[in-house]
Amino acid sequence: MKAGQSYIFRAVGAVLFFLINVFAIYLLLRGHNLPGGGFIGGLGSALSLIMLSLAFGVERTQGILRTDPVRVAGAGLLLALLTSLLPLLAGDPFLRHYHVVLPVLGKIEVGTPLLFDVGVFLVVVGVTAKLIFVLARPNADLTALAPEEWRNYAAPLEEPIEKTARSESPAPEDDVP
Amino acid sequence: MNPATLMILPVALPLVTAVVALMGRRPAAWRRWFTGGSALLQVVVAFALASTAWHGGPQVLAIGGWAAPYGIVLVGDLLAGIMLVLGAVTALASLLYGFAELPVGDEHPLRLPLVQFLVTGINLAFCTADLFNLFVAFEVMLISSYALLTLEADDWDIKQAFPYMALNLVGSTLFLVAAGLAYGLFGSLNFAAIAERSTALAGTPQLTVLALLLFTVFGMKAGLFPLFYWLPNSYPILPSPVAALYAGMLTKVGVYVLLRIFGQVLPPDLPLIHTLMMWLAAATMIFGVLGAVSRNFIRGILSFHILSQIGYMVLAIGLFTPYAIAAAIFYIIHHIIVKSTLFMVGGVVVVLNRSDDLTKTGRLWAVAPVLGVVFLLQALSLAGVPPLSGFWGKYMIVVEGLRQREWVLVGCALLAGVLTMFSMLKIWNGPFWHPEAAGGVHLADARWKPMTAVAGGMTLLSLGIGFGAEFFLRVAHEAARQVLDRGAYVTLLLGGGN
Repeated sequence: MKAGQSYIFRAVGAVLFFLINVFAIYLLLRGHNLPGGGFIGGLGSALSLIMLSLAFGVERTQGILRTDPVRVAGAGLLLALLTSLLPLLAGDPFLRHYHVVLPVLGKIEVGTPLLFDVGVFLVVVGVTAKLIFVLARPNADLTALAPEEWRNYAAPLEEPIEKTARSESPAPEDDVP
Repeated sequence: MNPATLMILPVALPLVTAVVALMGRRPAAWRRWFTGGSALLQVVVAFALASTAWHGGPQVLAIGGWAAPYGIVLVGDLLAGIMLVLGAVTALASLLYGFAELPVGDEHPLRLPLVQFLVTGINLAFCTADLFNLFVAFEVMLISSYALLTLEADDWDIKQAFPYMALNLVGSTLFLVAAGLAYGLFGSLNFAAIAERSTALAGTPQLTVLALLLFTVFGMKAGLFPLFYWLPNSYPILPSPVAALYAGMLTKVGVYVLLRIFGQVLPPDLPLIHTLMMWLAAATMIFGVLGAVSRNFIRGILSFHILSQIGYMVLAIGLFTPYAIAAAIFYIIHHIIVKSTLFMVGGVVVVLNRSDDLTKTGRLWAVAPVLGVVFLLQALSLAGVPPLSGFWGKYMIVVEGLRQREWVLVGCALLAGVLTMFSMLKIWNGPFWHPEAAGGVHLADARWKPMTAVAGGMTLLSLGIGFGAEFFLRVAHEAARQVLDRGAYVTLLLGGGN
């Protein structure tokens, strides 16, 4: 995806980015007892990233995100895992959840499921963003993968599995510029 | 702490390891130490769980404290324990083998995390007692396996991997349909609830349809005839350490689930399914081994052999007596170790001869006799020569087949054994016996020594299984007894009260 040509899109997109994310976080927070939750909130947030990459280009969006989306997903997974492993310390089964009711602003129920949901949120954002970047970068004449993700080994010393079959198959066509 | 609480560890440990390895983006020595240490810990945990199940009976963990049939439960009975131990040992061996094969810098940054995700899925499939959770486990396993298969692939490899993915996606869809059907029939997806409620439905067409669907799904995952062609072309494109893990574990997950579903969850009187199972198993044996005979490169031969060996295990499940189920379990124990070792030997041959094409390899018996001995022991074991581990499983299956007067099936099994021997000799005549090696012998490449050492360690295990068959048979019989005792299973999961 090349950077959008439209000034209006870029101007509106910058504002919408925050609006969408506010809504996504709202969905995340209400999720435990009402429709919403980490997954749908994460999708919303990922949508805002897709919109940014349409408006400003993939490379710039990656710059805004500052880190590889895989790491965002990894952090989310780690958070969700730690939340679910926490009860083991107390001798409770995996995924047991705990609640407290805070007497602030009426009664706010806060529990470990919220942390779990934040983890899910991050996983969804990270995975979706990574997918979009990998798929979109070739359109902007960039390589899809980061250099460290390039193939650097597939048993370099091995013969192709069936060379006869390969020689029978048509030769791959050269990339036409 | 309640020992059942620890049952989550076989799932949680590899998952944590995968995530931590993922966060360290670049391949580095610390990642290897960390993953290797975790794999070792997983072996210890698996042994602890298996020994708990052996001495204290099955353990149940209700996740989040929600009891069955509403919550998801993990059950650690002896069969699950055995499979966990085998999975952990194979994963550890394949990791060590991979460390020996590849310098740190050449490793793809996603390989270690993906292998650990794969192990997570496999372990969850062994522990779970819920049909939908099983589906999730399969998806975790399959998605990691798609990624690993195409991680370091070129265009040709991706073409080979495509049938693997396409067929498994169809299988997953069918699985989902079957789960929906099961939920409609029983109102629950918990194994024990299904076991309890399906008894009343025994013999009805609905149950037969469900059983057929499940058989199709898991038969496909296990690599049964006629839906096996995703396997023999996709496995050879894997790097050899990963191939060793795939060959050992992935199809055996399918066999394990067949054993679990048909032995424990669905009612035992499904004569149609059992007959179908036996004949398809026989066809798998014959076609698999004929495919192996037709190939002329090591990994191709070995990949087809996986299929033919799956045939033996499924035949034993189809015979469906306590003795036959025990035989199937023993066969799984033997097969996982032997098969991954053979793939490892194939990898060493590639390092030494720079090829695994049988016409280009040679001279290895003269220069690396240890490798030859390792190969010979495992190949003869695969073919079923006494007193190696493969003999006992085959012997039990043949005895049970004769007892049930299934002459044709027994004939197929014996014929497949002979052809297995023949195709193993084909490998022997290539890299080990042939006096010339077109690609030369690269003994100076020091990687082959630690790689052979790992394969040798696995061979020692396999020898142990062969000579200690008495003990392993007792374990297999106890595991089979626990599986077939459906009443105890229902009581254990749902409580005696209802």
